[in-house]
Amino acid sequence: MPALDPLFVLCAACVILPLLAFGGIMIFTWRRPFLSLGISLAASTACLIIAWYIFWQRWGDPTPLVLNVDWLVSDLVRVPFGFLLDPVSQLMLVLVATISFLIQIYSIGYMWGDPGFGRYYADLSLFAMAMLGLVISSGLLQLFICWELVGLASYLLIGFWYEKFSASEAGKKAFVVTRFGDIFFFMGLAILVIFYGSLDIAAINAAAVAQKMEPWLLTTCALLIFGGICGKSAQFPIHVWLPDAMEGPTPVSALLHSATMVAAGVYLLTRLFPFFAASPPAMTYILAVASLTYVLSSTVGMVARDIKQVWAYSTISQLAMMAMGLAAAGLAHGTLFAGYFHLTTHAGFKALLFLCAGAFIHHYGTNSFFMMSKGGARHLTIPMVTVTIGALALAGIFPFSGFFSKELILGNLWHLDNKLWVSIGLLGAFLTAYYTFRVIFVLLFPRPEDHPAWDKYHEPLAGGHGHGHGHEEEEAHGHGHGAGPFSGHAPEWAINLPLIILAGVTLVLGFLQGTLERFLLGESHPHEMNYLLLVLAVGLALAGIGLAWWDWGRKGASWEGFLSKVPALEHFFIQKWYMDHFWRWFLNAVIYNLFSKTFTYNDRRVVDGGVDAVALGCIGSGRFLSFLQTALLQLNLLFMVLVLAGVGIYLLMGR
Amino acid sequence: MSVLQFGVELYYLVMALVLFFLTLRREPQAAQDHRIAFTLSTVGVVVALLCLTQQGELFFRSYRVDLFSQIFKLALALGLFLVLAISRNLPSIEERNHAEFYLFLTTCTVGMMMLVSAVELLTIYVALELSSYSLYILVPLRRGDDIDVEAGVKYLFFGAVSSCFMLFGLSYIFGATHSTYLSDIMARMPELVASPIGVVGLILAMAGFFFKLSIFPFHFWAPDVYQGGAHQVVTFIATASKAAAVALLIRLAVLGAQYGYHFTQILVFLSIISMTLGNLVAIIQKDFKRMLAYSSIAHAGYVLIGILTLQETGLASSIYYALAYLVMNFTVFMVLTQVAQDGRDLKIAELAGLYHRSPLLSMSLILGIFALAGVPPSIGFTGKLFLFTSAMNQGYFWLVLIGAVNGTLSLYFYLRVVYAAYFVDAKLPPIYLSPPMRALNYALCATILYFGVAPNSIMELARAAVRAVL
Repeated sequence: MPALDPLFVLCAACVILPLLAFGGIMIFTWRRPFLSLGISLAASTACLIIAWYIFWQRWGDPTPLVLNVDWLVSDLVRVPFGFLLDPVSQLMLVLVATISFLIQIYSIGYMWGDPGFGRYYADLSLFAMAMLGLVISSGLLQLFICWELVGLASYLLIGFWYEKFSASEAGKKAFVVTRFGDIFFFMGLAILVIFYGSLDIAAINAAAVAQKMEPWLLTTCALLIFGGICGKSAQFPIHVWLPDAMEGPTPVSALLHSATMVAAGVYLLTRLFPFFAASPPAMTYILAVASLTYVLSSTVGMVARDIKQVWAYSTISQLAMMAMGLAAAGLAHGTLFAGYFHLTTHAGFKALLFLCAGAFIHHYGTNSFFMMSKGGARHLTIPMVTVTIGALALAGIFPFSGFFSKELILGNLWHLDNKLWVSIGLLGAFLTAYYTFRVIFVLLFPRPEDHPAWDKYHEPLAGGHGHGHGHEEEEAHGHGHGAGPFSGHAPEWAINLPLIILAGVTLVLGFLQGTLERFLLGESHPHEMNYLLLVLAVGLALAGIGLAWWDWGRKGASWEGFLSKVPALEHFFIQKWYMDHFWRWFLNAVIYNLFSKTFTYNDRRVVDGGVDAVALGCIGSGRFLSFLQTALLQLNLLFMVLVLAGVGIYLLMGR
Repeated sequence: MSVLQFGVELYYLVMALVLFFLTLRREPQAAQDHRIAFTLSTVGVVVALLCLTQQGELFFRSYRVDLFSQIFKLALALGLFLVLAISRNLPSIEERNHAEFYLFLTTCTVGMMMLVSAVELLTIYVALELSSYSLYILVPLRRGDDIDVEAGVKYLFFGAVSSCFMLFGLSYIFGATHSTYLSDIMARMPELVASPIGVVGLILAMAGFFFKLSIFPFHFWAPDVYQGGAHQVVTFIATASKAAAVALLIRLAVLGAQYGYHFTQILVFLSIISMTLGNLVAIIQKDFKRMLAYSSIAHAGYVLIGILTLQETGLASSIYYALAYLVMNFTVFMVLTQVAQDGRDLKIAELAGLYHRSPLLSMSLILGIFALAGVPPSIGFTGKLFLFTSAMNQGYFWLVLIGAVNGTLSLYFYLRVVYAAYFVDAKLPPIYLSPPMRALNYALCATILYFGVAPNSIMELARAAVRAVL
């Protein structure tokens, strides 16, 4: 493939421009917020244009296009560097570029006056670069590199307010936990290279479809790679980093938990869908894990009091749903469309929900939606309307985008012989509708001032483990208006514009289902309407909303969830199924006490001891040799003569 | 037009004459002397550059002008220019001796320029002594305590003894081949393979240059002279004089090509001992210049690796490394003279806080030190890579392994310098650098990096030069 193919250049520009922006800002302009903003926005706009151009250029052309150049060539190993353009990656490219562009716009308002404004935009650029690179990678190694860069950028962004202890801890947690999954991912890649010999995505998929791979290899690699997906997409049991990741600035949460970072995991699952689908055992396992995650996160979402926490758990649950959809499709010989379509719609409405949450947080300086409600959140018209639209989509109500994609996934689950999966899906839909509208109703219908419920919710968010602490002060500190070059108030339009755009997307996207399916698969399957399922799903979602209305919305509602009737269960949910406790115990007992101790001992005694011995030996021999260098001229000369004499004798005798 | 072929040397002779008249002045005018000397040396570089492509033979074939010699002449001219560039402030030499300082540097340069062109044994010897005598005078010029006298005496003694060895060796060669012309000797060497007289003579003859290059066992002078001499003098000894010695070693070593195993074995032995001894003893040094002295012993060992391959690539890598060493060692010495502006000796620990005192100097220091240590992408790394590759291709696996281990050892004391400059804080005033000095800093840094990344132009030149010798 010629290196100067215009599409190749465009793809490369898509990756390199944000990287240049990152480097330029970090090295030269980070002290000058507006210049940094300009650089970052310019790069991001260019990426947006390129992404849409590629999308438009290759519209209706489902044949994958691989553009590779050799990057590393050794004797037997050839590592290509290149891009894979097919409908799957093009759609994701557009998605990522659009969302990150909108987030950058939104952040102008949200981060206004922050002392780290320049650094923030540099990190955003790095993130965009990593994510765009990940999406269009043609090989798994290149994808893995970008994958890790995404991890790095997310670490930087989550821990952006590093002076806040909980934020830097959350950043570290996100980094370490996802890395834990990446170990498996990398092992999977290593096994694939050793036994199959290539990491080219198209080749792997083709080989899996043609059943050229041995089943054990396929299943092992699929499961190991799924380990990485678990980490990034926050699936059970390593989902624990995601709720903590809310410590970052809210636009970051929106970016990380809509179209990027967490979606990267599901995207990889989609990318390698034929590969995964060739291994039914792996798909069954994925289905089980995803279902467990779905239930877990939905139940925890019912009791969270921090608006970002609710959206965080809903993210986990929706990711689990996508994984379920893909796994079910794999098992039932379906297509990747359902899961991928949900990924697309979810990107829109989840970004919208987070950005709305950000607008509230920005305005009220608190993360608790009870306190927002008290502050009069219902009067913030644009965020309130848009958050309701987002919530309707999340709950899966017609005609919002979530409805269409959820229907498809449930349809996939319905096709499985075991009806357990679809009942879990339906249960999840019910719970999702409930906890989503719990937030909406609380925001919309505050209780009167003297209502007893206020006593319960008035205290600051101290109960939740660490996160939520001190958001108020810190974010207020973050928004020191008028500091330095920032004059006046943050521009309102910057916050509102992305909300309106995303709300529009949420409304429209569902109706594009057929178009997108034709684009992705090259053909459109007529869906036989399953009225029973449709009624069940919509009915349960409406039932969830109704229950939420009964508990939180109606005039005499007590503002106590139906769960408080079962305190044990509620406590279990509030403690997040004790997952954090489990990991704490696991870290202490297994990692620290078993591995760390042994390895530390080995490090101290064997490695350090050896190194010290070598170093001391060198210094000692240096001391010893320096005795040659005496001040006695005669001795030195004698030594010189002796050495030459020795050389002479060697030459005379050695022959 | 044969006079023009002697042009560079003539120019420097005239320059020495001008400087000689300056020394006769009753009232010393240090600033003016420096201006004149510096201007003349700047022109000298241009002259050497213009003469780069000359070819020919002079003085009854005892003097050959070819690419090999002209490259080294350019390097020597550059060395003198650089040393004079940091000599504007000469606190360690008495003001009335400044003109002498310039004069003897110039005569030394003339001597070395003749050295690299000489292809006849006696010419070689005379040229060598011309450059050595100048240095014997320069070393004890330092003002102050008697450490300089001790250094001067030691330098003279070791120089004299190694000259003795060299003359002895030359007499052997002359006796065996009945000629003092290298070309004749080279033709007759194969006849001598059966008897050891040729190779013994050759090794002894090389002693004079082992001394200049401070290769074991002729290294004893280095630490004392480095520590005792004035910074600028030591800089000259450590840069220009090393390059000339490499040139002559190459000229002589190719004579021994027929001896094969035994001849190279001795060079391998000397190379390994030099590297190891230099690096190990450098670890415990506290004085910066003394540490650099031991590091120069180690680097002499590295250069020998390329020479002992006796192949075009190896010799060319030696030339590349000698030139690289000139630049990187000069960079470190330049930092040294700028930090110790009162001319005192510097302990490594006294570099503390350099990062805050002058970021530019500490950048030059870190680049120079990393180049010495062989960290990519500096010229030092590329040079070492060339040397080791050429030796590896000749099958010297163990030599290369020991060289690589030595490279690791040397990191220890080089990094101590970096550590002191960057990680230790000291409340000392910032160092002021004049604009030309800043430009020099930038130029050196750029050279170290540029030719480390793109060494091909220099390497091609070095190969062409070696072809003139082989």
